[in-house]
Amino acid sequence: MNIIEIRNLKKNYALGKTTVYALRGIDLAIEKGDLISIVGPSGSGKTTLLNVIGCIDNATEGSVKVSDREITKLNDRQITDMRLHHIGFIFQTFNLIPVLNALENVEFPLLLMKKQSKNEIRKRAEKLIDEVGLRDYLKHRPAELSGGQRQRVAIARALVTNPDIVLADEPTANLDSVTGEQILNLMKDMNRIEQTTFIFSTHDANVLKYANSVVKIRDGLIVKEA
Amino acid sequence: MDFLFTISLRNLFRQRRRSILLGTAIMFGTAILVLANAFAHGISEVLFNEIVSYVAGHVSVSFTKGGNANNQIFHDGDRIRAIIKERVPSVKRVDEAIGVFARAIGNGKADNVVMVGMDPSGEGVDEKEMEKYAKAFTFINGSFDNLGDSTIENPVGLSVEKAKALNVKYGDVMRVRYTDIHGQTQAARLTVATIYKPSNVFMSVPIFFHVKTVRRLLGYGPHDVPQLYLIIDNPKRDAKRFADSLHAGLKPPLAVIDGDLSFRSETIATTLLCLRTDSASLACADSGLRLISQTANDSANRKKSVIVSSAFAAATGMKPGDTCSVAFEGKFDSSRATVRLIVTAIADTGAGIDGNVVLVNEKDFYKAFYDTWPKSTAAGTGPFRPDTTNGIYKALGGEWLLVPRSSTTKDMMKLYREIAQKGWRAIVVDVGSMYETASMVLNLEYALNLITFICVMLLFFIILIGVINTLRMTIRERTREIGTVRAIGMQRVDVRNSFLIETGLLALISAVVGTIVAFAAMWGLSRLTFKAGENPLGMLLVDGHLFFAPTAGAIVFFVVLIVGIAVVTAYFPARRAAKLSAADALRHFE
Ligand SMILES: Nc1ncnc2c1ncn2[C@@H]1O[C@H](COP(=O)(O)OP(=O)(O)O)[C@@H](O)[C@H]1O
Ligand SMILES: [Mg+2]
Repeated sequence: MNIIEIRNLKKNYALGKTTVYALRGIDLAIEKGDLISIVGPSGSGKTTLLNVIGCIDNATEGSVKVSDREITKLNDRQITDMRLHHIGFIFQTFNLIPVLNALENVEFPLLLMKKQSKNEIRKRAEKLIDEVGLRDYLKHRPAELSGGQRQRVAIARALVTNPDIVLADEPTANLDSVTGEQILNLMKDMNRIEQTTFIFSTHDANVLKYANSVVKIRDGLIVKEA
Repeated sequence: MDFLFTISLRNLFRQRRRSILLGTAIMFGTAILVLANAFAHGISEVLFNEIVSYVAGHVSVSFTKGGNANNQIFHDGDRIRAIIKERVPSVKRVDEAIGVFARAIGNGKADNVVMVGMDPSGEGVDEKEMEKYAKAFTFINGSFDNLGDSTIENPVGLSVEKAKALNVKYGDVMRVRYTDIHGQTQAARLTVATIYKPSNVFMSVPIFFHVKTVRRLLGYGPHDVPQLYLIIDNPKRDAKRFADSLHAGLKPPLAVIDGDLSFRSETIATTLLCLRTDSASLACADSGLRLISQTANDSANRKKSVIVSSAFAAATGMKPGDTCSVAFEGKFDSSRATVRLIVTAIADTGAGIDGNVVLVNEKDFYKAFYDTWPKSTAAGTGPFRPDTTNGIYKALGGEWLLVPRSSTTKDMMKLYREIAQKGWRAIVVDVGSMYETASMVLNLEYALNLITFICVMLLFFIILIGVINTLRMTIRERTREIGTVRAIGMQRVDVRNSFLIETGLLALISAVVGTIVAFAAMWGLSRLTFKAGENPLGMLLVDGHLFFAPTAGAIVFFVVLIVGIAVVTAYFPARRAAKLSAADALRHFE
């Protein structure tokens, strides 16, 4: 079963008078539970592709189905809900909320969902923090955590809602190689434990071994799917 | 929702310097606003409760007899009081306002004083008022109770300052020279029955008597009333309205004296009407009447006119130049009064004048009328009564003369000058509210309210500029954070609301702190003692101290207003922040 189906996806940016063709006709299908890496040099369109899949940027042309929903036709409120309920994000720069501590950062998406009681939310967040190995750092604010620890919090936050897909845009680019490997291992573990689809982008060929499959992208087009 | 609150609150303390800067501005603005308002309100309290109600009443009815503003008397007091009761049923108290300039002579020293009547135990003086009296006067010797003591000869109360100026002590006898309501110069011995220290310098000028004492000294009869001051519950709301209503109720009826006219040996039931002798009224009378014969004097000086109808003249044989007398019964006095009249003209019956009617010039008429208030004969029981269609109706005088309501103190002064010039003989009745009688004093309150208003405007701009600037910087700094929370799934409205909450909280905290600061300032300022001396601004002080009267309602209003302005101002930048595209916001690096 495909969790993502992309057909002829094009994305243009207007940059002054010129148009940047960031994606020029992508066809891609990703299976549920997969761990996929999107590889390509800087400027090849990785972020743009992940943004479109992650419902934070809209396609110029083509069709994008996420969890069987055509997302190109949703309004802002619906697409925001889509992100909240079906997608988890891990950013290159971690992007934790600085005024919230680790636990609160992980609780945050669940609080937005307003589905569970405060207690349930706390339990679930604690469980995730535990799984990413930060049991001793519950009350630490992002500024008090190392880069690797921050990214672990971000992974817990991305997974806490039980999303269909977790998107990670160059999650290790801001980490040293040892920490980067730990993070990728964690993602691999979480992919196995939680049965969540993971898509991460990278421009570093060394990290490809963590992926089940690799999508190569160059100049807005898929070069080779392996 | 409460986690939005938590985040907003924590964000607020994040940019501490910026928040403190804007917060301090709002705090000071609020403090000044609350302070200015409490001061204005305090002054207004002093003005309305201490000063205006003493110098003007909330609504006043004045009676000017003989064109002399110092001659404040009306002879049928019960009637006026009944009209007040009917028109202003909720009136708290009707004070007899007697204030007469006099020369007081103490022990080797003399000073100008104002003799003022008071009745602190009178009807309608409630506990609150008693408390106010207690606060307004600190008694050194005796108390106002002594003023009502009939065993003391003319008991009088003096302020410490006056007692010093007159060199008199408690229990001393002093003398006072004044003009009574009949225009006679009088002198009286007074006994100093109490000496006090007033909290307001304004109160140190008058010397106080019990109202019954000052009435007796000035020659008021038992049915006479001086100027009346109405004290009402809510003067700001009702004073004007009640004055208008009372004015409408005080329209005078036609003045009529029903009596018996004696000429030679005959006595005939007769009605005397008042012929007003100002030029407009005389012109009206001339166009309505056909004079058949007239004395030479009369054609020269109409002020002495006494006109009878031709039918009445034929029946009695009266001719111009004849003297007759009319006897009539008084309303309050069982004895009869007599007025002598010299007939000056005869007018054709039917045209304006009919039956046994004598038109008497206003000077003679009102002299008789006010000396002995005539018993009124029920209308329609025989005596002639002209109605409004009568050709000379407009030339006939009423029992008194009600002047139109004036709208400012200036108008009122003009009116009084006019009254003095016109030489009207009728008692001039004027109804005023404090807004006319004390408009100059009240202007001060408007000025203070203006200051408050300027404070609000200033604050408004502080908030406007401060909030917009602060938010612009904050939003720029947090662009990537906005992108993050949007990516995670926060709706636009929640992003917007979190900024609104943040701004609102800042404004609320600042406004509350500002209010506390204002209270501290009030506490401090009201402990300072000012020596006002003769400065008229001293009347704004209570006991030499500034007086603040903050009201919960105003403070709540200001706080809500400030938070409201801040939130409304924040709305537009906050909405712009919420509309940022998540993808763009995430790419934003600074
Ligand atoms: N908001 C934007 N406006 C204009 N051009 C953009 C914008 N975002 C990305 N691009 C361009 O689109 C292309 C793809 O960018 P991106 O998806 O960020 O590549 P990658 O993530 O692989 O480095 C690049 O040429 C980039 O300059
Ligand atoms: Mg990128």
